[in-house]
Amino acid sequence: MPGPPTVADEQSERAAERTDPTLIRIRDLVYKVCGIYMPDNKFYFLNDRCDRRVKTLKMDSLRAYYDALTLGADREAEIRNLLNEITVGETCFFRSPQQLSALRKIILPKIMEAKKKLSFTRLKIWSAGSSTGEEPYTLAMMLLEDSATMLKDWKWEINATDLNDHSLAKCKEGVYPGYAVRNTEPYYLQKYFRPDGQNFALVPEVKSRVTFTRLNLHDESKMLFMKGYDVIFCANVLIYFDGTSKRRTVHHFYNGLMPGGYFFVGASESLYGVSEEFRLVHFPGATAYYHPLLREEVADERPR
Amino acid sequence: MSAPVDEALRSRVKNLDAMPAMPAILGPLIECLDLPPEQIEIEKITELIARDKSIAAQCLRMANSALFSRASVQTIRGAVVTLGAMRLRDILWSSFLVRMAPKSNWPLNPTAFWEHSFGCALVSQQLAKKIALPDPEKIYLCGLLHDLGELVNSMLMPAEFKATAERAVLESISLYDAEKQSLGFTHCDSGKLLADHWRLPADIRNVIEFHHTPEQATESAAVVAVVNLSDFLCRLRGMGYGYDELCEVDFHQAPAWNLLQKAVPHLAELDVARFTFELDAEAEEIRQLVASAFQT
Repeated sequence: MPGPPTVADEQSERAAERTDPTLIRIRDLVYKVCGIYMPDNKFYFLNDRCDRRVKTLKMDSLRAYYDALTLGADREAEIRNLLNEITVGETCFFRSPQQLSALRKIILPKIMEAKKKLSFTRLKIWSAGSSTGEEPYTLAMMLLEDSATMLKDWKWEINATDLNDHSLAKCKEGVYPGYAVRNTEPYYLQKYFRPDGQNFALVPEVKSRVTFTRLNLHDESKMLFMKGYDVIFCANVLIYFDGTSKRRTVHHFYNGLMPGGYFFVGASESLYGVSEEFRLVHFPGATAYYHPLLREEVADERPR
Repeated sequence: MSAPVDEALRSRVKNLDAMPAMPAILGPLIECLDLPPEQIEIEKITELIARDKSIAAQCLRMANSALFSRASVQTIRGAVVTLGAMRLRDILWSSFLVRMAPKSNWPLNPTAFWEHSFGCALVSQQLAKKIALPDPEKIYLCGLLHDLGELVNSMLMPAEFKATAERAVLESISLYDAEKQSLGFTHCDSGKLLADHWRLPADIRNVIEFHHTPEQATESAAVVAVVNLSDFLCRLRGMGYGYDELCEVDFHQAPAWNLLQKAVPHLAELDVARFTFELDAEAEEIRQLVASAFQT
């Protein structure tokens, strides 16, 4: 008979033994300052990214780098540099499949059911900080898939915003390198992209479903006009904001959502301590932030 | 248990003797190990373990594993001292759980069952530690055994239970809901029956019976609540039964959360998002652990 697994404690103790305590401190610092969390099984990745900075800065140890992050005169800039290393190259189509699956299978059916009772047949989604457009176009492809079934007789719009004019131009162009479609199933690739030399060009059907606008999330007067959304995505953007502007921006997102709407940040991003209004909710493999209804119905059919 | 549930269950569990018996030494051993540390009698424990060859071998193997051994451990007494009461208790229970599991033709995916059981044990213990509940090792055990009823169902009604589990996957619902709809009772009911029969400690019995309905637990409420929340977290973060349930969980609104808050007022400060992210590393370790232990 095979031996059963043993007590938990030793495993985490062993993990802690293997890991440089400075790396744990850097992980905790990044979480505290930016809200992005790297679990123990991502230490090798964090180590690698810190290493790049250590080499660039010609430092001799991780310890010295930690000091630069906490005590150095340029510590705020250095945290941004580290965040850039952590998030670089992350953007691609279908980046967070579990968020997308929660949206498609749980959130949209729930929102649509509530809206149908009020004879509303319109959905609005906002991709904030959309960078070069992979996220809003992914959403467009997903909703197009449901347009003949679940979304029949529904109108839907996807608004994408970004601060960077260069990124917005890329969005409008809609041509992507192979790297951007590495998570894209052949089905979607064949249906919604056309080869363009080495690249992949989105078909007009998808491009026409997304509107792109330049928007600074710090611009309060413009943020006030962003209203009536059912779902908002804003991945790996707020991690660059300081505490005060993060709270302010998240409050705007809250107000931009309809009651009963959902807010997604990056898959390993947390808004702990940032908002008292949003409620953290869990879906399989994904978390989101919920804008509660004015009077929340007592949920008798809560999961067991 | 309500009357119709009782009836539905009794009609299938005609004879509890069909269930695997608790190994003779397990009861007295657990009793010995549950004593306050000052009162634990090493000689008595050594003598009891010596009576069960496979458990004795297991203890020796563990004591000699790279995790613990500084010098080679030859005797059972040496193993008992090296491992300590807490680890012994875990080893006993996990050996036993493995022993009573079906040898073949599982109605459930066995890898998923072990990942979920050991995952829930680990997460329950971590959560208990995080919120400073007493005796997190005991809570580990409660997590490990919470789905004992799934084993009862697997043994007593393999075909029906297999169909039930398949329905759960097909409809993306919890096993608990699928059991209610297909069988008329759940693994909580059948688990309770066996737990009573074996006279398991009260905390474990309550967890087995109420981990899906924590608001009905009249005692051990905090422990039941911790296992309920951990069970959810496991099912949501890749340590479930091998499929995704279509559900949305707001932990702060869950009945278990309110119950737990009564026992642990500082619960409100728990960073649930961070705890959830931390579990992704645990899930990976659990998968490796189960894969190596069961050679799946």
